[in-house]
Amino acid sequence: MKKLLVLMCVLMVSLFVFSEEVITLNLIEAFSSPYRTPTLNNIVQMFETLNPGVKINVISPPYETAYQKINLMVSTEQPLDIIEIGDWDLSALAAMGKLEDLTPYIEAWPEKDDMVEGVLEAASIYHGIPYLLPHGIFVKALFYRPDILAKYGIETYPKTMPELYEISKKLTESGKNQYGFAFRGKGYPTAFIDIVFTSFFDDIDPNNMYLTKSGEIIFEDPRAVEALNFYVSLYKDTAPKDSINWGWDEQVNSFVSGITPLLFQDPDTTGMLNEMLQPGQYKTAPIPLGTSGNVYPSFGFVGWGIPTYSEHKDLAWKFIKFVASAEINGYWSKSYGALPVLQSVYTYDSYFSSEIFEGWTKMFDDPEHYQFTQYPLDNENWGKWNEFQEKTMQQVLLGQLSVESCLKQWTDFWKDAGIL
Amino acid sequence: MKRRKFIFFLLLPTLLLISFIILYPTVSGVMLSFKNYSLYNFQNIEWVGFENFKAIFSDPFYINTIWNTLEWVLFSVFFQLILGFILALLMKEPFKGRGIYAGLVFYPWAISGFAIGLIWSWLLNGQFGVINDILIKIGIIEENISFLSDPSLAMFSVILVNVWYGIPFFAIMILAALQSVPDSLYDAAEIDGAGYFTKLFNITIPYIKPTLINTILLRTIWIMNFPDIIYGMTRGGPAGSTEILAVKIINTVFYESDYSKAAAHGVVIISILFIYTIMYLKLTSKREFSL
Repeated sequence: MKKLLVLMCVLMVSLFVFSEEVITLNLIEAFSSPYRTPTLNNIVQMFETLNPGVKINVISPPYETAYQKINLMVSTEQPLDIIEIGDWDLSALAAMGKLEDLTPYIEAWPEKDDMVEGVLEAASIYHGIPYLLPHGIFVKALFYRPDILAKYGIETYPKTMPELYEISKKLTESGKNQYGFAFRGKGYPTAFIDIVFTSFFDDIDPNNMYLTKSGEIIFEDPRAVEALNFYVSLYKDTAPKDSINWGWDEQVNSFVSGITPLLFQDPDTTGMLNEMLQPGQYKTAPIPLGTSGNVYPSFGFVGWGIPTYSEHKDLAWKFIKFVASAEINGYWSKSYGALPVLQSVYTYDSYFSSEIFEGWTKMFDDPEHYQFTQYPLDNENWGKWNEFQEKTMQQVLLGQLSVESCLKQWTDFWKDAGIL
Repeated sequence: MKRRKFIFFLLLPTLLLISFIILYPTVSGVMLSFKNYSLYNFQNIEWVGFENFKAIFSDPFYINTIWNTLEWVLFSVFFQLILGFILALLMKEPFKGRGIYAGLVFYPWAISGFAIGLIWSWLLNGQFGVINDILIKIGIIEENISFLSDPSLAMFSVILVNVWYGIPFFAIMILAALQSVPDSLYDAAEIDGAGYFTKLFNITIPYIKPTLINTILLRTIWIMNFPDIIYGMTRGGPAGSTEILAVKIINTVFYESDYSKAAAHGVVIISILFIYTIMYLKLTSKREFSL
């Protein structure tokens, strides 16, 4: 009995002496999906293997409620070390004063000079401070189905908005359930309508999509009437009537089934399309140029941040840095679909110079016509705007509201919101 | 008096528990509606009086939202009641395979409302929907119908799905009540020469009236607070044509991230339901069934 007791004591002491303390980092993601979360888990596993003694606990709330959960967790200082932050949520989170300024970390990070131009600046929208390190970029491109276009004798993709209308109209045969354009009517259609709308302008403010360079609200400009009328025609003449009720799921489904072979979407759509379509069955092209000769896409981004109250900030940065490294960023972007944040990744993997990425490559190579701009994301009426714009835009499409009245309401909205 | 006090003390723990789990959140929700608690304002939360109510009532879409809510509740409850009643009457009679049939009929009630919304949004889809496909194949229509994108059809569609979803609940409740009606009443009525409808209106309905009153009251409250189906099918669109108050709360939280304004919408719902409940109970408590 005595021997057993001594043996147990020795075992306990040796366990205590030789066991390493395990540090657990809590990570919360904002864009969980069946396509993306497994990739994140793989990266976490790689990091844990390379860093024994570190465990990362991944929290994946449902996509629809993720922003609410993150904001509530951060505001009540619940244990978090790494937070995924989207561009639309950055200002709200930063305004709480609970996000760590990543400047010192980024300054000391050798790969910062390899970042795609403008990404870090775009991510510093709140008081010019980088509260996150982006891990993916979102810019809309034109997705098209060469196989369907060829059936109608169309050999190339539309290069201008009038061409987009013409080709879409040529494709539209409602009796055969064949249409041209995959319209977006619900679930944050903002980015879609604004790309079409602003393409009628040649003087959009690069810091605010809803202002001209001379500081006027675009909705009270005479060109706005033309732009909105074009948008209505695009819906009425070339898109399924039902698409007023379409979000991402329906748009992609319609594109895959060939009903609408033209689609504006973000690069994360490629993840799903690569699984559902054969290679070459879809391609991407630059967003068609507007009547002004320009297009003003928005530059969306998502990244990782650290709460000020985290007890493991350095370790959290180590993980963020790891995810941002060329190899991991390439794997992440290829698997999930967002555009890589490091320039070297585009040459590192031939996938990023394939036809799938042609749309973005061409847009990035032509800054004269593709002028990136930003939404007024730091305006606290931004969320309200999305709902209001969606509803009034649908009223215009349904003929319940005139183009002029709608533009007046949009102008008043932003005047009241203090955009000027 | 002593006995009353004794009963009160026995019920006190329950009262405290109910106060904690029901009263506290209700009061807290009402208080929230008078503050400025939003995503952009976690640091300076303060009392703002009726500002949130002023904001929601000045929304030009709000009257439309209230009308939609009333339309949604009224038509849903009415058709669920009528069809649930008919189903219960049919299910009361013994027939071969009644158990299997009952299982199938009550099946919708077992599925989540949000999942039902999503399933039906695909079934009724104007491009790839099965319903359109079937209607075209059997020759009823020639072109696809945009069930969810035509404002005149969208509310009809969501109510139709809600009726389909809610019939089983009425049927279960009414069937249980029907089985408690003594057969002797029907036997006596038959001896007096009463027909089917005479028995239905003079015996069955008066006898099960308490169940009907409670079920209608419950369902009205639930349906008014039930955004799942509409959210899954249309999110309140197009152009707000299917937006009810409960969906408005979700949209206010998800789009505007304004928790206080969402709470103000909740207070409006509570107020409407409070007035309705008092009026309904006053109107329905006058005549009782007597033998």
